[in-house]
Amino acid sequence: MINRTIAPPIYLTDGINFPKPSCIELPNGSKLLIINEGDVDVCRLDIIFNAGSRYQQRKLVAMGTMSLMAEGTASKSSQEISEYFDFWGSFIGISADKDFAKVTAYSLTKYLPQTLQMLEEVVKQPSFPETELDVWKRRGKQTLTVEMDKTSTLARMEFFKTIFGSEHPYGAFAVPSDYDGLSHIDMANYHKSHIGSQGATIILSGKLSDGEINAVTKHFGETNWGSSNVNQGNCFGNIELGTKQLFVPKQGALQSAIRVGRELFNRSHPDYPDLAVANTILGGYFGSRLMKNIREDKGYTYGIGSYLLTFRDGGAFIISTDVGAGYTQQTLQEVRNELNRLISEPVPDDELDRVRSYLLGEALRSLNGPFAIADNIMSLHNFNNLDYDFYNRLMNSIRTITPQRIMEVATKWLSPETLVECVAGAENPF
Amino acid sequence: MISFDRFTLDNGLRVIVHNDPSTPLVSVNLLYNVGSKHEDSNRTGFAHLFEHLMFGGSVNVPSYDDPIERASGENNAFTSSDITNYYITLPKQNIETAFWLESDRMLSLAFSQQSLDVQKSVVVEEFNQRYLNQPYGDVWLLLRPLAYKVHPYRWPTIGKEPAHITDATLDEVKAFFFKHYAPNNAILCVAGDCSVAQIEELANKWFGSIPRRNLSPMVLPKEPAQEAQRRLEVKRNVPFDSIYIAYHMCHKLHPDYATTDLISDILANGKSSRLFQSLVKRQNLFSSIDAFITGDIDEGLFVITGRPADGVNLLQAEEAIYSELGSLVDELVENYELHKVLNRFESTFTFGLTSTTEKAMNLCYNELLGDADLLNRTVEIYRRISPQDIQRVARSLFRKENSSVLHYYAEQDRQ
Repeated sequence: MINRTIAPPIYLTDGINFPKPSCIELPNGSKLLIINEGDVDVCRLDIIFNAGSRYQQRKLVAMGTMSLMAEGTASKSSQEISEYFDFWGSFIGISADKDFAKVTAYSLTKYLPQTLQMLEEVVKQPSFPETELDVWKRRGKQTLTVEMDKTSTLARMEFFKTIFGSEHPYGAFAVPSDYDGLSHIDMANYHKSHIGSQGATIILSGKLSDGEINAVTKHFGETNWGSSNVNQGNCFGNIELGTKQLFVPKQGALQSAIRVGRELFNRSHPDYPDLAVANTILGGYFGSRLMKNIREDKGYTYGIGSYLLTFRDGGAFIISTDVGAGYTQQTLQEVRNELNRLISEPVPDDELDRVRSYLLGEALRSLNGPFAIADNIMSLHNFNNLDYDFYNRLMNSIRTITPQRIMEVATKWLSPETLVECVAGAENPF
Repeated sequence: MISFDRFTLDNGLRVIVHNDPSTPLVSVNLLYNVGSKHEDSNRTGFAHLFEHLMFGGSVNVPSYDDPIERASGENNAFTSSDITNYYITLPKQNIETAFWLESDRMLSLAFSQQSLDVQKSVVVEEFNQRYLNQPYGDVWLLLRPLAYKVHPYRWPTIGKEPAHITDATLDEVKAFFFKHYAPNNAILCVAGDCSVAQIEELANKWFGSIPRRNLSPMVLPKEPAQEAQRRLEVKRNVPFDSIYIAYHMCHKLHPDYATTDLISDILANGKSSRLFQSLVKRQNLFSSIDAFITGDIDEGLFVITGRPADGVNLLQAEEAIYSELGSLVDELVENYELHKVLNRFESTFTFGLTSTTEKAMNLCYNELLGDADLLNRTVEIYRRISPQDIQRVARSLFRKENSSVLHYYAEQDRQ
C-alpha cells in the first residue's frame, strides 16, 4: 500500500527562458516583433498606437475612434466589413485603454492574407459614418448605464477618481451623458492625428512562416501612413489626493463593493519586483493572506484579491472585494490587520517558499503558447519600453527576496494610513 | 487532430492521455459525472457547494491548495447542470503531486464541519455577487422554472435560493460524496509532455486502490413536450426593460444538435449575424441582442435575449424577434451564409483547443458523451449540415407553444 500522507517530491523550476522576439524595423518606421511558436495553425496580429484616452481632448473620443474603425471605410459599409471578417473566421478587436490604442486580429494562419487585406483598409481608411456613430452612441450609453448600476463599478470609479484626481487621465471616467454631442468629425480628427505607422508597434504571433511576415510587411510596413507619434511626455498635471474614506450609497445593495489602495509607480520602478512578491503574499493568489482570512476563514466574500496595476506613467495598488452588506466594517478592519501584519512581522520561510514556487509556475504559465508570450511582450512594450531585463529583475526578486525586504517595501508603500478606502453599498461603514 | 490514448482501470476509472511535447506544463483534468441535475429538489445548489468542499482537505491530506502552490501549480473547478470538473496545470516534473491530491480526494474527504460552515457562507456570497446583487442577475432563477416543470434543469447550478445552501448538513455532504464521487463515475485526462506508460503507472499507483462504488444510476424525469406558450412579467430595479425567450431543443447526442447550434450562430454569432444586423443596426429596435444554446447533455434551451432601444416596448421587441425567426422557417439559408457560419465555427473551435487545459477538458467531456474522438469529428459533423436541415430544425424549434417568454421590466419610479 502507498502511504498517502507522504507528498511526492517536488522539483523547483529553474531555468525559465523569457523568449526575446525577433524585432524588425519596417521600411516605414513601424516596429515588427515576431513570436513564432505553437503547433496549431492560428496566428494573431496586434498593432499598438500611442493613442489611448490620455491624449483625447474630449471624453470617449479615443474609444469611439477605435470602436468605429471597422464600421465603414471609403469603399465598404459596416455590414460588408463584418460579413468579410466573419466569413474568413477572423476575430477583430479594436480598443483603447488609458495609454494605448490597439487593433488585434485573430486568424487561421491559412486565411491571414484575406484577413490582412480588409484590416489594412479598416485601419488606414475608416470613414466614421454618421449612422454608425449613432448606433454606437445609443448602445454605449445603455451599456454604461447598466454598468453604473453595479456597486463594483461605483466603487471602482470613485477609487480611481480619488487616487488620481478626476481630471487626471488615469482617474477620469465617462458617464452616459458624455455620449451626447460627440460627432464623427471628432473621431475622424482623432484618427488622423493619432493612428499611423510612425510610432506604431506591430506584434505577430502564432505558427508562422516567411509568407505571413511578408504579408504583414506588405500591408502595414511599406509606405508611411500617418503618425501615432504624439507627444509622449507627461501630458498631465500633478496628482491631487482626495479624502481617505469614501462612501457611495446604493440603496438596497445586498453586498458592499470595497476598494482599498493608493496611487503608485509603474513597472520600471526599482521597487516594483519586490513589491510584486509582497503583493502576492497579501492578496495575489488563492492561498494569499486576504483569501485565507476573509474568504476561507470568515466566509465574508466569494473572493478578494490585491493587485499592482500598471500604466505607462504610473500605477496603482488596489485591494478589491465584494462582501455581504453586514460584513463591511469587519472586512475593512481585517484588511488593515493584514496590511499591518505584512509590515510588522517577517513572513515565515514556509509561506515564502510557497509563494516563490507559485510565482515560478505563474511565470511558466504566462509563457505557455504564442498568444501568452505576445501578451507578455505587449506589456513589456507598453510598460517597460521593451526592457527585457525586467523579467530578470522579477525572477531575481522571486528567488532571493528576504522576509526583511518584504517588510521594508510593505512599510514604504502599503501602510494602511496612506491608503484610500472606498465602499459602495447600502450603508455607510465610516 | 488531437491524438490520444485511453485505458480503463479495474475500478472503472477511465483515463485519457494526450501527448504534447511542446510545453513544459502538464494539465490534469478530472471530470465527475455529477451536476446540479443530480440534486434533490429540496437541496438545490448542492453539487456546486460540494465542489467548494472538495478544496477543504481530504482524508490523508489536510490542505489541497497548499501543495499545489508549492509544486508551482494552479488549479480550479467548475460545476454545471451536468458535470463537475476539476483541473490543475503544473510543471511536468511535478505531475505526481496532482495524482496524489486528486486521488486522495476521490478516496474520501476530511468532511470538516468548519469547512462546511465557511463554504456555505462563501457560496451564499457568490449567490449574492453573481445573481442577486447584479442588474438582471436573477434572470436564470426566473427563466429556468418557467421553461422546465419536471426536469432538474428547472433550477440553476447555484441553486434555487440561498436557504437550500445554508440548510445543508454534514451528513448530506457525506451521502452526496459516496453517491457520486467514485472512480467508476469519473474521467481523467492528462495533456502535456508525458507518455502513456508513465500515466498508466501513475494512475494505477494512486487511483488503482480506490474501490469501485455502487452507484444507483439516476433516472432523471424527462421534460414533457410543452403544449402552450408560457409568459412571465416581472418588475425590477434595473435601468432598462429586457426580454428573454426560451425554446426547448434536442439533447446533446441528437443528430439535430449541431444544426440547432448553427442556427444560433446564424442569428447571433458575430457582427454580421442576422439579429444584430437587422434589429440593432438597420431597424434600431434593440441596443443589444443575443441568441445561444445552453449546451446541456439532456434536452436544453435555445435562448434569445435582448434589450430594446429607448422608446421600443417589449411587445414590439418580441414581434421583431419573431419576424427574424420566421425568415429561417420560411426561407432556405443561402449557401454563402451557411459557409460563413461554418468557417466561423471552425475558427472558434480551433482557437478553443490551443492550450493543454482546453484539450484535456474537452477530451474528458467528449468521453463522457460517449467517445473522446467525437472531438476530432466535430467540425466534419457541422460541415455536413445543409440549408434544408436548418429550415427543418428551425420549424420544429420556433413554435409558439414551444416557447417561454420573460418580460423583465424596469421600475419606472427609480431614483
